[in-house]
Amino acid sequence: MEMILNTVRMVDHDQAREHALGDEKSLEQNLAIGILNPSDFKKLNLTRSLHINLSNKNGQVIVATKEDENIPQGTLLMPVSIWSNQLTNVENDEITYKNIPVNVEATRDPITTYKDLLNSIKNIK
Amino acid sequence: MERIPCTGCSLLCDDIIVRSDGLFIDEVIGACLKGKERFDQLTSNNRLLNPMIRENGVLEKSSWEDALNKTINIIKNSSNPLLYGFSNVNCEAQLKAIELARKIDGFIDSNSTICQGKVLNMAKDTGITLTTITEVINKADLIVLWGANAAESIPRLLNKVLFSRGKFRMTGREIKTLIIIDPVKIASFNVMGVRDLALQIQPNKDLELIRMLKEECCVADSIPSEGVAGIDNYDLKRLLLHLSEAENGVVIVGQGILQPQSESTIIRELLELIQMINLKQQKGRISFIMMGGHFNMAGFDHIALSTCGKNENLKFKNNELVESNDNIVSKINKEDFDCSIIVGTDPISHLPHNLSQKLASKPIIAIDNRKSATTLIADVVLPTAITGIETGGIVYRLDHVPIELKTILKPPNNLPSDEDLLNQILDKLNKT
Amino acid sequence: MELYKYLPKTNCKKCGKPTCMAFALDLLQGKVKVDDCTPFLEEAKYKKQYNELKQLLGAEEGKKKELRIDVDEELCDGCGICVTVCPVNARYCPPTLSGKAPDYPPEKHQLFQIKAGKCELLNIKHCRRLEAEGRERECRVCETYCPRKAVKIDYV
Repeated sequence: MEMILNTVRMVDHDQAREHALGDEKSLEQNLAIGILNPSDFKKLNLTRSLHINLSNKNGQVIVATKEDENIPQGTLLMPVSIWSNQLTNVENDEITYKNIPVNVEATRDPITTYKDLLNSIKNIK
Repeated sequence: MERIPCTGCSLLCDDIIVRSDGLFIDEVIGACLKGKERFDQLTSNNRLLNPMIRENGVLEKSSWEDALNKTINIIKNSSNPLLYGFSNVNCEAQLKAIELARKIDGFIDSNSTICQGKVLNMAKDTGITLTTITEVINKADLIVLWGANAAESIPRLLNKVLFSRGKFRMTGREIKTLIIIDPVKIASFNVMGVRDLALQIQPNKDLELIRMLKEECCVADSIPSEGVAGIDNYDLKRLLLHLSEAENGVVIVGQGILQPQSESTIIRELLELIQMINLKQQKGRISFIMMGGHFNMAGFDHIALSTCGKNENLKFKNNELVESNDNIVSKINKEDFDCSIIVGTDPISHLPHNLSQKLASKPIIAIDNRKSATTLIADVVLPTAITGIETGGIVYRLDHVPIELKTILKPPNNLPSDEDLLNQILDKLNKT
Repeated sequence: MELYKYLPKTNCKKCGKPTCMAFALDLLQGKVKVDDCTPFLEEAKYKKQYNELKQLLGAEEGKKKELRIDVDEELCDGCGICVTVCPVNARYCPPTLSGKAPDYPPEKHQLFQIKAGKCELLNIKHCRRLEAEGRERECRVCETYCPRKAVKIDYV
């Protein structure tokens, strides 16, 4: 299903705090997450244990889900993080952090790990 | 008890009470969650305490001598270095950084180029006035939050701006009108009173709303009866009425409308709308504040303006400032650099994936005080003391007011401050 | 409030309270019973509301309940709005008037403070809901203005 992605700041899901005080596990738990309206949740046939596979022309990533009724239908919210930046891009020398078209599907595959993301940027041992 | 400023975000609240025994911090009173996190970094496991060098592909601890020598080697073997970051360091360090860039023919830029810096230039062009938080507390009667989620980025902003009782507005909340415009029903909607206005606009339609308001300013009764962008015409008329009748209003904007929509920039059109309203009405003024992120983003704009005449995209060659049409994003995209020095920020996590890959393909020297994705990938890691607790200095708030930071503890392992470290690098370069 | 809807709302003062709203508040706290409102027993037109009110309260009628103000630690983000709006804080701690943090150690009347990044309630003794008279007794500003809905006022 096609949706619009907005990456926002959230006080509970803060990348700077997880890097400063948490560890790899808390990073994945708090940041690899996408938040949807309950009616979109139903349309995608999602349940609490399923994950979503997000893909567009810039990249692909798998994250967990959460529901929130304050979000308009057709919008997906993600906290600013290395997961959400797999989907953002540069246009006319400016970075677009909001209003990015993305394709969303339910999946059973595991969430993309932090190590995988770092390795895809540079091969480190 | 002494009150010190907090360096959690760009609001720089200066009323924090800290109880300490000289070695550790026992209690922090008055700081919100983001400020508390900053004080917690002192004793966190992820704090960097030793310099590190990448040998045979693995990062390992090293001595200061070896780390600095490797840094000098990387810089000497490059002819087009890139310097980026500088929004988490004090103004003295920013001055030293510009000196370093001048010496090594580098291109230097700060985080504000993808956040606040653009807006400053646009505000200069339209001639609109910026205002300070103290003025808003004492005199404002209208506050508009557009595309800004105050409760999630700067928690104490609503507390200071809306609820405090100022010198000329003693009753505080009852006197101020709040208008929020946002596509998501954010937490700030919960502080609305009976006379406030909450508009949940459709996503991606801010430009339509601004253009309709501009037209209504010039030609009356041009609002269509079915409304615009999901807002009905009664609310639109009320919005324009509030804006025109405000004696002392302020518009606070955030990242939500910093992105370009269709072919124009939304902030530029919003500033033009405000200026139109200001010129039309006789007695009042509406001014403008831009919400920032890190605590010294505005500082780099000031330091760069006063030393070089430009607030961003500074390129040096043979000790002189030269013309440059690039910004940091285009430089990395074109791979027009051969090494990078990253100070106090984490671009590998913050930039889009393909830009991070290009940045990581050349040597990186990372200067920071805690572990991050950039320090895990860098070739040299140099730790420094935490600004605001272990180092003092001057920093600039989000409304461009300078604040002086206090020192309350000594850094562990005799870690240098950012200014000292950049000075050491400059000294070594001058000797060899 | 829920209970006020069922009362006669005439403010006749036959129960000894100044208004029906004050009676409703005391009813919630278990200080009076439904039968203490004499118009309920004397006049037939209130019989339906009397029965509904009795059914709503059930066994809870007359049980002594105490005020409890709870700040949910998971939702609070330390914004300090409750510290600034509380009228007791405003009277006894001058720095809160302009949005600043109150002095430390806390003054004995102070109700809210921000500690370790979260707002917490120090003591409830001097809250307006316990000490004031008349309209001020219905003070709910800390609950109304919290943006993340973390403050809850309850009677248990």
